[in-house]
Amino acid sequence: MDQWNDELNGVFANYRAAVPDPEASANFMPELWRRIEGRRNLTIRFKKLTQLFMAAAAAMSIFFITMLSVPAFSGSDDDSSYVDVLAKAFPTDTLASHGILLRDAEANTK
Amino acid sequence: MSRMLVDFEQIQKAKAGDGAAFNQVVVAYRKRILGTIARLIGRPEDVEDVAQEVFLRLYYSLDQLRTPEVFEPWLYRLTVNASYDYLRKQRRRNESRMSDLSEQQVMMADAAAGGKVSGEEQRQKQVKELVESLLGAVSEQDRILLTLKEVEGLSLKELEKIYAVNENALKVRLFRARQRVLNAFEATKASDSKPVDRKD
Repeated sequence: MDQWNDELNGVFANYRAAVPDPEASANFMPELWRRIEGRRNLTIRFKKLTQLFMAAAAAMSIFFITMLSVPAFSGSDDDSSYVDVLAKAFPTDTLASHGILLRDAEANTK
Repeated sequence: MSRMLVDFEQIQKAKAGDGAAFNQVVVAYRKRILGTIARLIGRPEDVEDVAQEVFLRLYYSLDQLRTPEVFEPWLYRLTVNASYDYLRKQRRRNESRMSDLSEQQVMMADAAAGGKVSGEEQRQKQVKELVESLLGAVSEQDRILLTLKEVEGLSLKELEKIYAVNENALKVRLFRARQRVLNAFEATKASDSKPVDRKD
């Protein structure tokens, strides 16, 4: 086993010698800076897109808030009570059209 | 990772966004990084591409560097990660194409040209092929770890800084990886020394 270990160490040492540190090509630095600039431009574009999205989201939020805060036109029902509105929405004849029949006593109270 | 190739001040300047200082850092380290990558990935044609990826990542992560003292382990970690990404992509590519004819053709051309290369070149080629096949017995992570330890000669302390794991975990992992490579080595040697059956 030790013999194999020693031989393997020898193989690794030979591999180190067989693959020396290569020299960089003349194009190495320009290409590196081109990639750095490319990534930077991509980041800037992404940032701009994010800002645009945020602005659109803010504008939509303001629009919805405005829509909700402006009271809707509701005609003459403004001062009527909940029971009145309910009675108007469901008159007895409407209930009858749905097959719901009120007993006489209940109908008379309406 | 024997000694720093640039001074701390240079790294601080590069960290602050000084392009010229960053250039100097790259120029100082690129040969060492190119060599390490060459031995980690074993494909000379892609070494520059992976090295540029390392320095690109360095450029965009320099601001996360806490102190210049940890610069070299940091750079090696980026090298390890970029090499690992490359090896993983390479494996996926190899899996997706069932047979690589062009590679075979290159090997045949190499064999044909074998007579022209010197004995030393031939021997170096054999060593590269042997190590490539032996490292094929382990995962990409173990291949990188083993190469850093056995070929690059990094100490366990240095590996500990790069991988940010404790020494014992590294020892166990290295031992297992080496055992696998050793078994592959023994098998290769056994098959080489086996007499060839001849049918007359």
